[in-house]
Amino acid sequence: MSNWTRGRRREARDNEHDNGSSGPSRWSHCRKRGVDGSLRANREGDAGPEKGGESDSRKASFTTPESTGPVSRCGRKADWGSQVENDEMRRDVHRDMQRYRRRILGAEVPQRERKISSGSSESCDSREGENIETDEAVLLRRQKQINYGKNTLAYDRYIKEIPKHLRQPGVHPKTPNKFRKYSRRSWDQQIKLWKVKLHAWDPPTEEGQDKVLDDIEELGIDDVMDIELDFPNLTDFQNAPASLATHSRSLEGDDDCSGTPVKIQKTEITEEPDLA
Amino acid sequence: MENSADDYRIQSLDMDTQMLLKTALKDPSSVNLEKVSDILVDQSLKDQVFSKEAGRICYTIVQAEAKQNNGNVFRRNLLTRLQQEFKSREETRARSLQEWVCLVTFICNIFDYLKVNNMPMVALVHPVYDCLMRLSQPDALMNEEEVDCLVLQLHRIGEQLEKVNGPRMDELFYLLRDGFLLQEDLTSMARLLLLEILEFRAGGWVLSSTAHKYYYSELAD
Repeated sequence: MSNWTRGRRREARDNEHDNGSSGPSRWSHCRKRGVDGSLRANREGDAGPEKGGESDSRKASFTTPESTGPVSRCGRKADWGSQVENDEMRRDVHRDMQRYRRRILGAEVPQRERKISSGSSESCDSREGENIETDEAVLLRRQKQINYGKNTLAYDRYIKEIPKHLRQPGVHPKTPNKFRKYSRRSWDQQIKLWKVKLHAWDPPTEEGQDKVLDDIEELGIDDVMDIELDFPNLTDFQNAPASLATHSRSLEGDDDCSGTPVKIQKTEITEEPDLA
Repeated sequence: MENSADDYRIQSLDMDTQMLLKTALKDPSSVNLEKVSDILVDQSLKDQVFSKEAGRICYTIVQAEAKQNNGNVFRRNLLTRLQQEFKSREETRARSLQEWVCLVTFICNIFDYLKVNNMPMVALVHPVYDCLMRLSQPDALMNEEEVDCLVLQLHRIGEQLEKVNGPRMDELFYLLRDGFLLQEDLTSMARLLLLEILEFRAGGWVLSSTAHKYYYSELAD
């Protein structure tokens, strides 16, 4: 029972937030996927699954003030598909975090890291380590906000038109770094500014919608991972393990202690040619 | 055991549908995945053999879609449809025992095959238990068909289920022991199946060789 409850509590929190910061109507016009994950082309069939079926007993037993807000999205979260996607997202966020930690610790304090690396992952904290946001609920909420931003036609157009190495800080939108400690207010503001900037790439209003469906497959693999670091020399490391889920096990395996700097640097060297 | 489409027992479907499924297995983004998931569920509810195989098909499509465009449209549609079926399971059971048994087989099969992060999908744990608990109620233990389905599922996924939620497995086995011991109107076949599953779990989800001999020696000849 507790698993369900915990899951729902998190969802409720997330929803409260997403609804608050950006009205669905404002941003939704250029989404490539609907809330349910299907491509917009399938939209007509979509009215069905809206079903009032959410009246299942658990919902009544669990109410938070937030979920009395704009309901439709909250209600849907009870469905199995969303639950599974949430689990998946949690997994991804954890994986990203391990990577992020190794990267910044490896970059900034190689010596210290080496000394510590035989200990538990807790002891990995260093000067930079203390700045890392580790609260899972916060990370998931942020990830969701980022996903909403990325789930736009504008974002697709942006990453296609401006390759990563041409992006300039201050000029081009840069995905906020979800692993940094920020106040809620500061984070929300960053997200907001990011989204506003992304709107510059909104498709021309008439014909944009269908055309872009074809473009989706062309997403670069390095866009799968969404943190853009402040260390330009390292950004290319993202290419390496972004090869997704299948590896997650082995990755997590060596996360605990053996993620030594030596290893990381090696990876980087082999990745170097990709820079070209 | 390879993925040739014939292996998937889709021959019983009409040609168009077979084509659709074959395409979905190879190039999921080119077909209507909602339709595909509906076909798979519909067929599973009709055909018990199919319901035991459908998990593999679904698994392959999910993998293919994830690989192709990092998508999960198929899985979402499949789970949504499955959830609807799950919600109306009591009506289904009242209408057709066979369909109900197929539904349970299918959900368990999906639970067995589709994993997230190599772990069972948490969202399905309670629903699967709910189905198995239902099969363990006195009225269901009266039907060999349902008992048969129950023990088959427990053989396949019992161990995984217990790992993700031990207490509910205990709860389930209280029912099974009670049924075995106290329910007078059980057929001897139902009793045999129950006894076997009790021993099976007690032995750590393995049947000792002597127990195996006891339960299966007659079948061999």
